[in-house]
Amino acid sequence: MSGGVDSAVAASVLKDQGHNVEAVFMKNWDEDDTEFCTAAQDYKDALQACDTLNIPLRSIDLTKDYWEKVFKIFLEECKAGRTPNPDILCNKEIKFKAFLDFAFELGADKIATGHYSIIEEKDQLYQLKKGKDINKDQSYFLHRLDQFQISKSIFPIGELSKDIVRKKAKDLDLLNYDKKDSTGICFIGERNYKNFLRKFFDVYPGEIIKEDGEVIGEHDGLMYYTYGQRQGLGIGGGHGKKEAPWYVSDKIIDENRLVVVQGQDHPSLFHTHVKASNVNWISGDAPNEDLSITAKIRYRSNDTPCKLEHDSKNTFIEFENPKFAIAPGQSIVFYAGDTCIGGGYIETRSNKNIS
Amino acid sequence: MIYFDHSATTPIHPDVLKKMHEVNRDFFANPSSIYKTGRKSRLLVEKARTQVANAIGASSEQIYFSSGGTEANNHVLWQIIKQEKKHVIISEIEHPAVSKVLKEIETYGIEVSTISVNDQGVVKIEELIDLIKDETTLVSVMMANNEIGAIQPIKKIKQILKKYEIPLHTDAVQALGKIKVDVKELDVDYLSLSAHKFYGPKGIGALYVKNKDDLGSLIIGGNQESGVRGGTENISGIIGMGLAAELVTKNQDRWIKNLKKLERYFLEKVEHHLPHAIHHKTDNLPGLISISFPGKNSNILMAKLDRADIAVSNGPACSSGNIKPSSVLKAIGLSDDVNLSTLRISFGKNNTIEEVDYLIKTLKEIV
Repeated sequence: MSGGVDSAVAASVLKDQGHNVEAVFMKNWDEDDTEFCTAAQDYKDALQACDTLNIPLRSIDLTKDYWEKVFKIFLEECKAGRTPNPDILCNKEIKFKAFLDFAFELGADKIATGHYSIIEEKDQLYQLKKGKDINKDQSYFLHRLDQFQISKSIFPIGELSKDIVRKKAKDLDLLNYDKKDSTGICFIGERNYKNFLRKFFDVYPGEIIKEDGEVIGEHDGLMYYTYGQRQGLGIGGGHGKKEAPWYVSDKIIDENRLVVVQGQDHPSLFHTHVKASNVNWISGDAPNEDLSITAKIRYRSNDTPCKLEHDSKNTFIEFENPKFAIAPGQSIVFYAGDTCIGGGYIETRSNKNIS
Repeated sequence: MIYFDHSATTPIHPDVLKKMHEVNRDFFANPSSIYKTGRKSRLLVEKARTQVANAIGASSEQIYFSSGGTEANNHVLWQIIKQEKKHVIISEIEHPAVSKVLKEIETYGIEVSTISVNDQGVVKIEELIDLIKDETTLVSVMMANNEIGAIQPIKKIKQILKKYEIPLHTDAVQALGKIKVDVKELDVDYLSLSAHKFYGPKGIGALYVKNKDDLGSLIIGGNQESGVRGGTENISGIIGMGLAAELVTKNQDRWIKNLKKLERYFLEKVEHHLPHAIHHKTDNLPGLISISFPGKNSNILMAKLDRADIAVSNGPACSSGNIKPSSVLKAIGLSDDVNLSTLRISFGKNNTIEEVDYLIKTLKEIV
């Protein structure tokens, strides 16, 4: 029970179905960082929701687990110039592991969250499907879960749209019905990403170059930029075509240089081939070769057709059509129709077969 | 609900509740007003002051009402920044209403030293002697700890301080109603009280001051409380506190006897039925038991007790309902794991043997 509208309505749906429901407020980030953390307010909202729903509220402090298993890895990835997604690790290690253990200890049969995704069981195989509200679908963030984790989970609002969830919340007199959706990485929230990271790293500014090597600016530190980024490059006018904006096309880590190209359609921003590591298959097995598969290279991108090949360590993906701004460190997530079948971490991208 | 969290707060005694209701209904006049009903309000306030004074062996002009124990502590402690001497000594197990205040006061150039405690949670007197310097202007040591109930040697501390003419403050909010509090015997210079810890209302407390000239203001305003605590008196709170204090004076011996009986009974049963539990035995407040269940998470135990409608505590909660390893339990040498498996059970005057049986039965099921 996060204090948000999704988990509150999820609890209400379960209650209506006749389940014996208890809520748990999870604290993953230390609130001594008072400047931005909203945990205290979120807890009050969770209390209020639970009072309205007449269910007890428990608390669990997973700050230590989160720091060790999510945040440290996030920092390492940032340092390596990659673009990590800590929410995916948080689901795998915290919500559907540490919290699941806590819930079992409390005597729960299953845990439920307010994720927009659908679980279906077929022949004792649990499938993770996209949420009905395709704008809110969160299967992308859940692709690292395994059969056990999914078998112990319920997503009560997976079949609902956000509008209906908000309406239900309003009908239930939940005071948080119009609370803003949380955005960004949970521990950073609305605050300035650069200022946040600066607390954890030494910053090494370097050159911004064009593909031909011409230096056209200075960057604040490679970790602050991601592939395909347009805003905040600080490249003044007078370079190239006046109108077209600049985009990050590559990071040369060894040289601490950021490569930019001009125009959203620049071919260097597009790639067809991806090498992915640490691929998790939700069913436990890689899909059959004849299965038609689509893949998403980031949360807010469409899944488009691709073909897969594997070796012992990695999966090699070839997209039918080039994809914009494929970012190493992000997750590539595979779908067969509406079913999320798994995914892995993007290692490299290119325009030719790299297997 | 079966309530075993009397160190957090106590239910208001029915007589107190009744009295407060009457006062709120009939005596709303400002005690500073000189017409008839105002004079009556003043008399009621002054009667309550005497009742509180009597409960601790003080005289009424030594009692200053405040908004609670926290304010009483703040009132004494903030006077330090006006002193010429710039050094204070506290114990390492003070409530945040002392320790955090001093953290803040430190930023005004005050130096704070800390006396550590032994594995029983009792301050090491020999350390105190080493910490005293010419610059020391105040020592503040709680009378009994809120988490483990350890009773502190206040009288002995004062005997030492006397030689150096250093005043002593004690936060006695946990003590009154559970152990004898006699300011003459303790010989302390300042003592803080909170009504809701002894069956009085919340939002009202008092500060005892041995020599009234020693006290400056904290909250500045009207001329109330001899000019050192502005603000119109919380009449019903004050009168509630007065009556609660009188009830302590009258009934304390009987209450303590019951608390000791419940504690003894509980611990016997624990020894028999819950052999793996660790009771942190101290020279403690009667009825306050700190007990660990190694391998268990106290949040889980709390949740399961809550399902059985039993209220106990597992340490000071932060704003998200979570607990951190307690610094007091750390100070008596508990590892973080044992620390986070600890419950505080604090009995009250109305608890019964049957309720303790139910607690034992429930603990047996969930541990």
